[in-house]
Amino acid sequence: MDSQKIDMFLMMNAKYFHTKHLNYIRERLTIADDSKWAMIQSADLKDPTTSLIVSIFAGSLGIDRFIIGDVGLGVGKLLTCGGLGIWTIVDWFLISDATKAKNMEKLQMFL
Amino acid sequence: MKRNRLYFVLFLALLAGYSYVLLEINMRVLHHSFTPCIFKNMTGIACPSCGVTRSIVLLTSGNLTSAVLMNPLGLIVAAAMLIIPFWLLYDVAFKKDTLYFAYKRTEQALRIKWVAISLTIVVLMNWTWNIYKGL
Repeated sequence: MDSQKIDMFLMMNAKYFHTKHLNYIRERLTIADDSKWAMIQSADLKDPTTSLIVSIFAGSLGIDRFIIGDVGLGVGKLLTCGGLGIWTIVDWFLISDATKAKNMEKLQMFL
Repeated sequence: MKRNRLYFVLFLALLAGYSYVLLEINMRVLHHSFTPCIFKNMTGIACPSCGVTRSIVLLTSGNLTSAVLMNPLGLIVAAAMLIIPFWLLYDVAFKKDTLYFAYKRTEQALRIKWVAISLTIVVLMNWTWNIYKGL
């Protein structure tokens, strides 16, 4: 793929991924076919900051987990009132990493 | 989530759940009114799953109707706590991943829009009932 496109993609979306993954994404995008560009552009990436805010305000209902696509864990969190509040607090610190990992999973499908 | 990670998380959740229920049963005898739930301690109102433990404790003594009246979600949690340990053991013992695939399928089913919306409405209704009951 065109290096200009890749630079643009990485500039726009760097905050959605772990820093350690950026090099890998660049490598894979370089090899990737141009026809995948549209799909990669339309990948439904979630903002880690948004999920952190949701986690702080609605974490004890598991809504943060629902939003990033971890439906199973979300149901678990909802049914235990956020793990009696303990899991909620743990998730304040884990949720942005979890969001980035989920974004990577979504992108991985196209790479 | 990978298979082994899911099984580890489920194991920890079951361990925590069973020890909490046992603790609660023993505390009931001493008639404590203590709750570790941060949501309730902070806001003073019940959360959607408030009363699940009490519901399970009622179930263990055979009071099905009062368990449902306490919180219907308790039945779901009790069923999960009864079934999942055996399923987990089966999968680990025979090196299969039936539970993992079931989990994935459930997640996909819950992502369907109308399923998600109707379940959300049910949970919200249950929550209003919880607040009305003053759990």
